[in-house]
Amino acid sequence: MSIGSGKNFSRDIKGTPMAKVKEGTDREKRLQVSEIHRPSAFEGALWAVMGIKDAHTVFHSPSGCYINQHQNALMNDLFEMYTSHLSYGDVLHGARETLEKTLQKLIAKGPPAIFIVTSPTVEIVKDDVEGVVEKLDYEKCVVIRPTIGGTVHQGKEEGFLSLISLMDEKVEKKEKSVNLIGPTYSVFNWRADLEELRRMLFEIGVSVNAVITADSTMQQIISAPAAMLNICVYPFDCGVTFAQKMQEKFGIPYLADAIPIGFGESARWVEEIASFFNLDVETYLKGEIENGFRLIRTGSVFTVTFETPVALALENHNTYAVGISHFFKKELGIEICFAAVGDEEVGTKVQEVSGNVSVSPTIDEKKRQYEETSPLLIMGNFYDLKVSKDLGFLNFLFADIPTISFLATENGPYMGFRGASYLIQQVVNQVYINLFIETKGEMEGQISLGEVRWSSSAENALRKIAEMIPHFIRTKSVKKLQKKAEELAYQEKSEVTLEIFKTIAEEYTPTRFKTKFLEVFEEDSAEPTYQEKTEEDWSKLPFSMEWDEEAREMLHMVPSEFKAKAVLGTEEYAQRHNYTCVTSQVVNEYRKELGF
Amino acid sequence: MPLKSYEHCCSTMQAMASLGKIEGVIPILHAPQPCIYEIQIGTMCCRPSRLLTMGTLIERGEIIFGGEENLKRQIVNVYHTYHPKVIVVLNTCVPQLIGEDVKGVIEDLKEELKGCKVTYCDTGFKYPIAMATGNDICWASIVDIMEPHQRMDGSIGLLGRSGTDAGAFSSLTTFLREADIPYFTFPASHIDEMEKITRAHFLYPIHVVPYLTSKKISEKSSALVNYSEIPSGVEGTTRFLRSIADQLGSQKLHDAVDREEKEIMPHWDSVKVTFSKKPLRVLHSGGPASEFSMGKILAELGAEVFLVPTMKNPFAKKEREVLAERYRVTFIDEEFDTLSDLLDTYHPDVVFTEFQGQIEVTPRFAPAFINMMYLAEYGYDFALDFGRNFHEAMKGHVYRKWEELLKRYKGNPYG
Repeated sequence: MSIGSGKNFSRDIKGTPMAKVKEGTDREKRLQVSEIHRPSAFEGALWAVMGIKDAHTVFHSPSGCYINQHQNALMNDLFEMYTSHLSYGDVLHGARETLEKTLQKLIAKGPPAIFIVTSPTVEIVKDDVEGVVEKLDYEKCVVIRPTIGGTVHQGKEEGFLSLISLMDEKVEKKEKSVNLIGPTYSVFNWRADLEELRRMLFEIGVSVNAVITADSTMQQIISAPAAMLNICVYPFDCGVTFAQKMQEKFGIPYLADAIPIGFGESARWVEEIASFFNLDVETYLKGEIENGFRLIRTGSVFTVTFETPVALALENHNTYAVGISHFFKKELGIEICFAAVGDEEVGTKVQEVSGNVSVSPTIDEKKRQYEETSPLLIMGNFYDLKVSKDLGFLNFLFADIPTISFLATENGPYMGFRGASYLIQQVVNQVYINLFIETKGEMEGQISLGEVRWSSSAENALRKIAEMIPHFIRTKSVKKLQKKAEELAYQEKSEVTLEIFKTIAEEYTPTRFKTKFLEVFEEDSAEPTYQEKTEEDWSKLPFSMEWDEEAREMLHMVPSEFKAKAVLGTEEYAQRHNYTCVTSQVVNEYRKELGF
Repeated sequence: MPLKSYEHCCSTMQAMASLGKIEGVIPILHAPQPCIYEIQIGTMCCRPSRLLTMGTLIERGEIIFGGEENLKRQIVNVYHTYHPKVIVVLNTCVPQLIGEDVKGVIEDLKEELKGCKVTYCDTGFKYPIAMATGNDICWASIVDIMEPHQRMDGSIGLLGRSGTDAGAFSSLTTFLREADIPYFTFPASHIDEMEKITRAHFLYPIHVVPYLTSKKISEKSSALVNYSEIPSGVEGTTRFLRSIADQLGSQKLHDAVDREEKEIMPHWDSVKVTFSKKPLRVLHSGGPASEFSMGKILAELGAEVFLVPTMKNPFAKKEREVLAERYRVTFIDEEFDTLSDLLDTYHPDVVFTEFQGQIEVTPRFAPAFINMMYLAEYGYDFALDFGRNFHEAMKGHVYRKWEELLKRYKGNPYG
């Protein structure tokens, strides 16, 4: 139990050794292109305070920096921001007067607080911002000085910490209330996640006293010490230091070791809060978990997720990286074929469920990983979307910033019970529908051309490719490949040759396999034919009993990677039922026993 | 000092966006992380290809000890990786502040980078007034390293504003081609094409932006700079083309303009009638100098135009005279804190601004057109199409609907 203990998830990792986490290459040896999607401490500080709706935020900067920050963040959220318009001269000779005039104008508007975030140029010349504030004698004015070279999360933490001086420690305590720490403007999906967490808390009778900071008001910030418990929503990113400070100053314990992503972890999150407030949540959780189970029993959920390798590129969203990877692996059976994360601690945590984790890889490294691991779905930011489209991957979900003009509403959370359902909905629909549609021909196309001959090498290649395609789409995909190859052969008045099949496979094979199937065509022509290869493989199978011809034929239908297991299982069944020979009847009985 | 700024981006970002559209040129952003991140994100929408920003990511230590070595390494990296013809170092606020010797770095690398020219321009807080200046200074830096070509007598060089203009010259060059007038355009989508501008005999800027650029080209090639006016709107386009025709004594070009005018005027006049029936007050605030060109079209059509100028160079001054005298456009030179102040003073029916202005305009149920969506505003066809569809594009009924909804349910439009 970690409530009140100040224990942070990321400080309590029992993962595999760090050596397996791959780091990005040295800064000095490469083009500096990997950090372009990583915002800095300046963005972090601004995002942390600009979400306080009635406060005024001033970026103490040249107008260019202000415009860029304001414009880019307006793509995600609606807010107002001001600037001191520093000129070249101001920066060189001191900007006290300029800032003073700006602040006087803003103070005249009567805001409940003013946050001044300094820009890199101000940090270089170390302008005396605090001196200006002191001179104006305006007590609700807070200065935040982000560090050059600091991360976005450090900048946010600075922003959060600056709020403590404005809080009222004498405020009356509110029973069964919590503060949610971490959501800020420009965080991917913060609004939807927050809405879902609020709903869950409401369901168990807990109210949200304040959100630090997105969409909050200054009164809520001032009254934050009224909460009984602080909850760090993104503990792998930010908010833990702030929660510790609040514990020191106001005696409020905090929860930072549960990420409500997935059904199990959402339930654990609720349980921890309920345990703190001594609430009975059994009936509520029963309902939520049953709902979740009802969803995964329907339609094609496991059929798709069990055969869907996913790549996660969540370098700006460590909490999502940990939460989503564990949820996918443990509750949906999704293989995390590659994960890119923001720092090593998170890498270790993700490594518990994925053998292929990179810390801050370059875009080229990510590209290579996507090609090598062939995910069926990529989750990441705008650059991952671009790379995935360039490489021909069809399925993509946004899960991180930057997104570039991506509208996110309160719908579609990734956190909480509804977040788990929504993620399942998104993954399954994306993957299944996209693959399904890829296997279709024209609306009014011809169904068959009659019999078209296939060369044995082309037939061989078709079978090999078929084995690479997930079962939920295999039959349809193979049929389409076959049809398209025959159409081309028909046009060329030829049988289906390896060359024809290669052309077709390149064009029509479901995206993920475009890189993998190339191996099929790159094999040495001296390679044994499919028949030869099959016979060769056959000799390696662990037969200990006699199999009749029909039973062996049935074994052909089993994917090669499962053949040995099928032989052992069938023979074990035959011996258990006193059969001396494996016949088609034995195979059928065994299949029935397995539930096929 | 105003409390906000309504331009689309800073001069560095604009320089990056413009240079990023030219094949053969690679800009390197000499800047710290926040600058690179914001510029990368901000330019993503307008760069057609090569979407990654090459940067130096100046770190804390380099602020104290200098980042020249890092810059040098990145220039060499870019050279070996992409083999560009030109590398432009965008020297941003922070390295300017710490006094980086960018010129020295380039000088040191001269021998090593064979077949590649390296140049630089200072951007950022040295040009706080207009983002469009970012275009002018980056083009000027390119001109600095151009080899002059032999001049072609009687040829015209059309000088555009941004990389976007590279695709917008055809509304003018069609007429030059018809009149057998040789021409060169700048910018172009390839550096080799851009270099040909030094062959031009007469330079005709098509916008107020490329003042410094035209000066530098002229110095390099002895071309004569003739600023006529922005060829936007029907009258502006006609006067611009006739100015070239007069300069070259080309009756063919006059004839082509006569023919086009004859064809377009009945349609244009009918659009003017629409504007006279539905009078409009239009406010232009910010913009990459498009307040001059877009304001011109609307003013010619009869709208009452109020304009906050972003540029004050000699071309802008000349254009300002045209707009004030010919169309009675009102220029707003007084400083204002927020756009809301102007809205309270001028009560416009429609506003041309940027996203940070739009959030102030929409609660007043007035349409806000985003400046950056209305570039390529040259020639007859753009003007006619824009004028014809303008009232419809304002979508007044949508704003009325929302006004009614908020009123009915006692909502706060600023909430």
